[in-house]
Amino acid sequence: MSVALAIAVGGLFAVGTFLLLQRDLIRVVLGVAVVSQATFVYLIAMGGIDEGARDLVPVLDTHGGGVPEIADPVVQALVLTAIVISFGTTALALVLSYRAYEENETMDVTEWAR
Amino acid sequence: MSLLVIAPLLVAVTTAVLTLALGRRPGIQRATSVVGVLGYVGTVSAAVWTLVLGPAAPGAAVYQVGGWPAPFGITLVLDGLSAFMLTIAAGVGIASILFSIRYVTPENQRVYYHPLFHMLLVGVTGAFLTGDLFNLFVWFEVMLIASYVFVAFYGTDRATAASFRYLVMNVFGSALMLIAVGGLYATTGTLNMADMARRLAAPDAYGIDPAPVVGLSALLLAVFALKAGLVPFQFWVPGAYTAAPTPITAMFAGVTKKVGMYAIVRLYFTVFAAAAVPVDLFGMTAASPLAFLAPVLGAMGAASIVVGGFGAVGQDRLEGVFAYSSVGQVGFIAVPVAIAAAADPAGTLRGAAVAAALVFALHHALAKGLLFLSVGAIEDATDTDRLRELGGLADRSPVLSGAVFVGLLSLMGLPPLAGFFGKLLAFDAAVRGLASDPGVAPALALVALLLGAVLTILYATRVWIVGFWGRETPAVEAASVDSGQVAVLVALAAAVVLVGVGFDPVYRFAETAATAALDGEAYVEVVGLEGGDGA
Amino acid sequence: MQTTTRVTVPIVLVVAISLFLQGHNLPGGGFIGGVLTAAAFVLIYVAYDLDYLESGVLGREIEPGTSVFEHRTVTAYRRTLLAGLVIVLGSGVAGILVGDPFLTQGYVHLEGIPVYHEVELASALLFDLGVYLVVVGSLLTIVSVVSGE
Repeated sequence: MSVALAIAVGGLFAVGTFLLLQRDLIRVVLGVAVVSQATFVYLIAMGGIDEGARDLVPVLDTHGGGVPEIADPVVQALVLTAIVISFGTTALALVLSYRAYEENETMDVTEWAR
Repeated sequence: MSLLVIAPLLVAVTTAVLTLALGRRPGIQRATSVVGVLGYVGTVSAAVWTLVLGPAAPGAAVYQVGGWPAPFGITLVLDGLSAFMLTIAAGVGIASILFSIRYVTPENQRVYYHPLFHMLLVGVTGAFLTGDLFNLFVWFEVMLIASYVFVAFYGTDRATAASFRYLVMNVFGSALMLIAVGGLYATTGTLNMADMARRLAAPDAYGIDPAPVVGLSALLLAVFALKAGLVPFQFWVPGAYTAAPTPITAMFAGVTKKVGMYAIVRLYFTVFAAAAVPVDLFGMTAASPLAFLAPVLGAMGAASIVVGGFGAVGQDRLEGVFAYSSVGQVGFIAVPVAIAAAADPAGTLRGAAVAAALVFALHHALAKGLLFLSVGAIEDATDTDRLRELGGLADRSPVLSGAVFVGLLSLMGLPPLAGFFGKLLAFDAAVRGLASDPGVAPALALVALLLGAVLTILYATRVWIVGFWGRETPAVEAASVDSGQVAVLVALAAAVVLVGVGFDPVYRFAETAATAALDGEAYVEVVGLEGGDGA
Repeated sequence: MQTTTRVTVPIVLVVAISLFLQGHNLPGGGFIGGVLTAAAFVLIYVAYDLDYLESGVLGREIEPGTSVFEHRTVTAYRRTLLAGLVIVLGSGVAGILVGDPFLTQGYVHLEGIPVYHEVELASALLFDLGVYLVVVGSLLTIVSVVSGE
């Protein structure tokens, strides 16, 4: 499981970084989002994930049953907070990129005003 | 546990919400905003006096948010270092908001300026107060989101482009910080800084393997250097600083940048210093991650001084000169910190060097705040800040020019201004560093400081001679300086002089702060961890 | 599209509210509930248009020629955001007034209430309500202003 997560994190980071380095505005914004997602997966992995049942993830184990014992709630809280923050930042980035596109009249970030 | 610790934060949040609610009544909104900052200054000084500096003060205090005990909940800690930084934030904040009222046009102030200003203040305050690593990340984000909007505030092509670049870079920085935070959590099993310091000091007792801390702390250093605008990460500084409204630029240079330096000092000296992590890299062998902070941060600081100095000399806009100068001046803060990292933990040099960095940070916040605000005043009066279109300002407005003169002199480091002591202490630390360890690296640090001082004199005199002496240009002749703006500038100039003349209490405050920064054990004790022994 | 919207929006809203209410002990809460509510509204926007809520649902006349910032629904969203912020702050500060630290939460059990018999009322719910309002208000403001451009 850890190996799969490591590959996922690595892949997401590679894709995100690749997109960040593009000239096209929308790809850069997408890159921002993908890099953030990579860190979330990484954070969850840092909580220590063992192969196993659904009750490792509290979100999947809700009504009735007791609170699962194994999953680390701290990383889940961290990721939730980080998702909210990155959600706000991405929304801002989208609006900002639209404004910047209007002002600079090009989607190519390298041609923007300095 | 004292309510005063959290009071500045609450005042700032409340003011942010109130100003947002009062968006339809601009007059009341502005009044609320000013009252809010005054309240902020009041609570900060009350907290600093009763908790840190006063005769009966305990020296540090802690606040457990929500009543959760230390390693589990979010802890806010006010110790000497936080108190010093909060004082800087309060000082620059009040000047900046008073200047904004007179400077930013009422239409621009109307809806979001004041709420955002207070959110910036909230982020900064939280970052200075928090005793929790992840919480530090959250406050960084609060601060940054407000900054993005401010950089894009005027909505021109340059401003939006600068803001977008600033945003993309900082999002990447935040991703790196999250990685470091997550890694540290996985390594030490805690996010509370005090708990982390305690566990790292005795890894065996807690059954943790602290080896990854070296790499993770390097990641954190990169992130904080990005926020502080140190050299390999300095390229966002000029664009963002020139795009933002000048009162906000004063906040950026005076306070936001210092958050990065504060985080470096706090994490390395308070948390990682005691870490029993053997480092064996690139031929260096040392007992804690501090050992490699010294050469890396020293090189970054020295490079910042040189790049910032040369960059400032070559600029043709006042705002550009001071933006590059900011890069250089942060180097002057970083180099003493590096010297402190290299110094013997038992000696007095380490404390003296950190105090030097703090005094320089205070000087830079005041002087650079003054200079950026005066750029705003000049721009407002003459509609330009291009050096070649300025000239003869000294005749046109002697009071404004006098304030700028004080700022420039302080930047150069002339006695008895604040900058003199900043530079004096930085050089003192560098010389003592060289004396205690005669080698190439400390000598290079000293050379960089000297070169930086020369370059500062060069660009400061250039600004003065080109912009203020000589015949009045058409732009200057048509200028009418706003007296309200000048009053703020004069007050700041007076503060610069006062800090220099009455330097003794300031230095004692800085020393208290440095001691607090270095004493990890006292920090752990103040936080008062409950339970959590053994992983 | 419009038919689907008519069916799904009530379901989404009910799920959002249930997620919001179970928030303090089980997964869910103000943020996720708020996002779902906002998503339901966005669905209406996509299927109909920006003015539908005002003219179609509330039966009011659209004032022509005003910019999107003065649009009545947008003002309402901004008020929602503000109310949420005030509630969040108030629920935090309320603890201080009775001598507890900032953000301290407590709860009471109410018994003998019809249908439910026993209800646990947590002050965290108030905080969550604030978060919910902030999320709904800010998201819908963003969506309507951006789509109005």
